[in-house]
Amino acid sequence: MPDQSNVGKRYSAPGQVVDAERSAKLAAAIAGRDGVAEPGVVPPTFAAVYTLAPTLAQMFGDPEVGVNLAGLIHGEQSFEWPVPVRPGDVVDSTAEIVSVEDKRGMTFVGLKVETVRPSDGAVVCRGRSLMIIRGGS
Amino acid sequence: MSVPAVSSLRVGDEVTPLTRTVNQDQINAYAEASGDFNPIHVDADFARSVGLPGAIAHGLLSLGIVADALSRWAGSSEALRSLECRFSKPLVAGDSITVTGRVVDVNEQEGIATLQVEAMSSRGEHVLTNGRATVRLTQKR
Repeated sequence: MPDQSNVGKRYSAPGQVVDAERSAKLAAAIAGRDGVAEPGVVPPTFAAVYTLAPTLAQMFGDPEVGVNLAGLIHGEQSFEWPVPVRPGDVVDSTAEIVSVEDKRGMTFVGLKVETVRPSDGAVVCRGRSLMIIRGGS
Repeated sequence: MSVPAVSSLRVGDEVTPLTRTVNQDQINAYAEASGDFNPIHVDADFARSVGLPGAIAHGLLSLGIVADALSRWAGSSEALRSLECRFSKPLVAGDSITVTGRVVDVNEQEGIATLQVEAMSSRGEHVLTNGRATVRLTQKR
């Protein structure tokens, strides 16, 4: 299970392509039967794909951290989008473990994430995630 | 759809509510687009075996619906500057989610409004708590 020694660990996922087709699929999945309101625009929570997925996957697979995936819950999420991303953008994402706490038999892992677009240096997304891991090791 | 103008928005103004029924097909489509195939989302039998009432939507699908509601109200998803929440109760496949929101602060100098947002399921549970968003305001166009 994650512990204090993991605080400060960083994961880096450079060269993430904001794929137009995948972004459209995510927008359609969110919209359901209502239909997408703005075709061609990347939905803000596509950050799940270009920021969270490629960095958190590394943490989940990190034997030094040892996340029990079966007990994993996404507890909290914040996103900030200083400037919008566009389809076709190539971006670099990073995540850092900023806190690990044990409470009520669960482990709370806090992460800070950030995505930068190197072509103009813009921060396109920053955020914080709280992952809760139930059950002991 | 028009973007709310800075001058016209007031504390207490309400976001146009949005209700959406989220069925298993929609959750499966989200799993495919996001790459998150955790069985609690796509396998109802598995979900029940771990004590859930059925397969549940991804937290980020619920948050995506909140972002969609705010974007439709604000006129564009590019108006959404930030969004945060705690994932509180599961949204079960087949249930509806209703998103509401209210302006709690307007900063005319920065052109930003802060909103408190809520998402309730058709079971009467808060899917999200501590929902907060900021929206960029522009002149009507």
